[in-house]
Amino acid sequence: MAMEPELLKNLTKKPATLVYPFEKFPPVEGLRAKHMWYADRCIGCGLCARVCPAFAIELDGRGKDVKGITFYLGRCVFCAQCEEVCPKKAIKLTQEYELACYTQEDTILKFTKE
Amino acid sequence: MKETEFIIPVGPQHPALKEPEKFLIKVDGEYVVDADVRMGYNHRGIEKAMESRTYLQGLYLVERICGICSCAHTTCYTQCIEEAMGLEIPERAKYIRVITAELERIHSHLLWLGIAAHEVGFDTLFFYIWRDREVVMDLLELISGNRVHYAMPTIGGVRRDIPPEKVNEIKKGCNVLEKRTKYYKELILNEKTIHNRGDGVGVLTPKEAVALCTVGPVARASGINTDVRADDPYLVYDEIPFNVITYDGCDVTSRILVRVDEVLESINIVRYCLDHMPDGPIRKVVSPLMRVPEAEVVSLVEAPRGELIHYTRSNGGMKPYRHKVRAPTLGNILAVCEMLKGGYIADVPIVIAGIDPCLCCADRIAFVDVNTDKRWVWTDEQLRRYGVKWYQQNS
Amino acid sequence: MVSTELIIKIGQILVFPGFLFLIFYALFAEWVDRKFFARLQNRIGPLHTGWKGILQPLADLIKLLAKEDITPEAADSVVFATVPIILFAIPLTVMFMVPIIGPKAYISFEGDLIVILFLFTLTVLSVFMAGWGSLNRFGTVGGLRTSLQMLSYEIPMGVAAVGPAILAKSLSLSGIVAWQGRSMSLFLENPTEFSLALGIAKASVLALGFGIFTICMLAELEKVPFDIPEAETEIVGGWQVEYSGKKLALLRLGGDIKLVAASALMTSLFLGGPLGPWPIPPALWFLLKTILCVMIISNLRALFARYRIDQMINWMWKNLVPLSLLYILAIELMAVLM
Repeated sequence: MAMEPELLKNLTKKPATLVYPFEKFPPVEGLRAKHMWYADRCIGCGLCARVCPAFAIELDGRGKDVKGITFYLGRCVFCAQCEEVCPKKAIKLTQEYELACYTQEDTILKFTKE
Repeated sequence: MKETEFIIPVGPQHPALKEPEKFLIKVDGEYVVDADVRMGYNHRGIEKAMESRTYLQGLYLVERICGICSCAHTTCYTQCIEEAMGLEIPERAKYIRVITAELERIHSHLLWLGIAAHEVGFDTLFFYIWRDREVVMDLLELISGNRVHYAMPTIGGVRRDIPPEKVNEIKKGCNVLEKRTKYYKELILNEKTIHNRGDGVGVLTPKEAVALCTVGPVARASGINTDVRADDPYLVYDEIPFNVITYDGCDVTSRILVRVDEVLESINIVRYCLDHMPDGPIRKVVSPLMRVPEAEVVSLVEAPRGELIHYTRSNGGMKPYRHKVRAPTLGNILAVCEMLKGGYIADVPIVIAGIDPCLCCADRIAFVDVNTDKRWVWTDEQLRRYGVKWYQQNS
Repeated sequence: MVSTELIIKIGQILVFPGFLFLIFYALFAEWVDRKFFARLQNRIGPLHTGWKGILQPLADLIKLLAKEDITPEAADSVVFATVPIILFAIPLTVMFMVPIIGPKAYISFEGDLIVILFLFTLTVLSVFMAGWGSLNRFGTVGGLRTSLQMLSYEIPMGVAAVGPAILAKSLSLSGIVAWQGRSMSLFLENPTEFSLALGIAKASVLALGFGIFTICMLAELEKVPFDIPEAETEIVGGWQVEYSGKKLALLRLGGDIKLVAASALMTSLFLGGPLGPWPIPPALWFLLKTILCVMIISNLRALFARYRIDQMINWMWKNLVPLSLLYILAIELMAVLM
């Protein structure tokens, strides 16, 4: 019976649940989510692809003739190691966290140099 | 087997188990006569995979051994590698590691308390505790960016600093947590139905606890003063004042109370660390593709569930030659069979949950032949081949 | 020749206060139970189906009806198939003996209280058959637990139910309800000090009876802290474990009607049934009171941890049975005084 006062107190309170798709918790600063690639900064060193623990990054071309980059989000573990090692800050993890999708192709995030 | 006895399989899938594991429980009516445990349903081959990854990639793999005690695993792993490289990390980094680890302990223990309440059918308490656990999850998200898999410790220090404005928020969160945890302790002490289900259930005498190599809260609930943080201090635990909580009830209630008190103790540790954190750098720059000199290192960490051991052996290359993890659950799981004997079926879930089993941590396959004491380890492929051959011969 | 009277009678059986009304009211009661339980736990509860999720129980029912219906090979198929129908029919039968739209029930005769108690026992027996017949290990344990549990709560339940009957000098629910209405109006007409004192004494004794009966109803409905026969974390749903599809839908609907029947019994035995001090339609009084009882039950099930079977039997025989004997003694005294 020890819990009854607490129960009655909570009856009048707003429920703790967030009604998710309608109410959203604002992402904290520093959340690691979807990648962003800045083509102009990339020098094509390939360090990101080498350190990725999930082998989720593919760099198209090396050095000056880097043409693009592919992130396999289905494999990515969002550790942000690629962001950390990049010497030119060409990769950034944004706060866009709603990455659910219907097909496997949608999980592949491709950036190309125009 | 007597005529009235029959075997109830608990697992591999069972509502009381959050992970696949099989307990074969021989019952006579409502009494448990004997129990047997089968492990290995969650084997993922992580140790083998470690051998094909660089040390930095291994860090993130190790973190994913377990979702709840991920920081304990990374702390242990980084300590291991730093020891092998002869690297001394900055003082501030040590404090931040302790803060993350203690917040994680709070989160893990509160999670377990909720599960324990659920196992005894007290769903209301489960919901309340999990609601309040969100506070500590939010704190972890605040300092690391993620709710689970914080990725805070890295080889050479930590990856993110805790700036002063976050310190205040963590302190505020700690106050809320302390208030709520004290309320739950009061509640657990006063609620008769919880005592009904916990007192004298799943008894593990101190003698058995030592003989069966139990670790962590399970051992401490049997009155054994064992805590890696106090016995073999790592990071800065030798500078932090804290008590090792022991209860000598040896039963489920003691296991609950040990964890509640440890939450309170952890809150104090976090507060102390926030106040005494020195300024300075948070990490030493280490090449992401570093080589580790030839070494053989064992490192110990007190994970929320008990003593965690990582062993690594390097041969001077970029990848470990062998990495071995001994998770605390492996130390505790044998004691479960002992605790179950002589109890009731109704007590099975809470006794199993009582050791806070983290089976994904524990499932690693090693074989011991009892007759010859020969030990060997198989890969998945070898195991599969053996299985196919065995069925061909025996069917 | 079909007379209007016959049409009204058929309408009463099929629509109001018969099958259709009872089924929808049972679903509504489940919604109240779930929603109130959720709010007590600081959750939202059903939300998306209909207004505040009011259609969720119906949606669950329809979903279950559409699911595959499996009968295990080893199970006793006859028992396995009949038990859901029995468990659906028994609470419905009980509901016809409960006064809803007036002080007199649709079926009412001297001694229907005994029949109701007997029917409640019969549900336990069929639950045991379900568990035993499905030949699952968890089901067997669940069935055993049900019958063990019944041995302990049955006596206090019967005793608590008989209390008002002694005071009313009638063994029929309608008689008890009528007596409650009579004594209320007698008191309102002639409020002397003696009758006030007697009224308070009667009310406090009956409140004790209400408490005992509510606890027994928790056990009968298999709700926490007495949800031992279907303890999900221990024996995976117990006697229900092998049921699926239509049979499970029937079982769940039967459970809901049982919840309504239990609260209707609490209402008619202790709270005056469809009668009330203010002039609003009797059916509305009945609905208000039963919903109150449903809320009491959901509050109680939010409050405790589950008992173990041995502890429950111990507790029932050591505390509840003596208490109910004390209660019946007080009732007898009261009857002599009156």
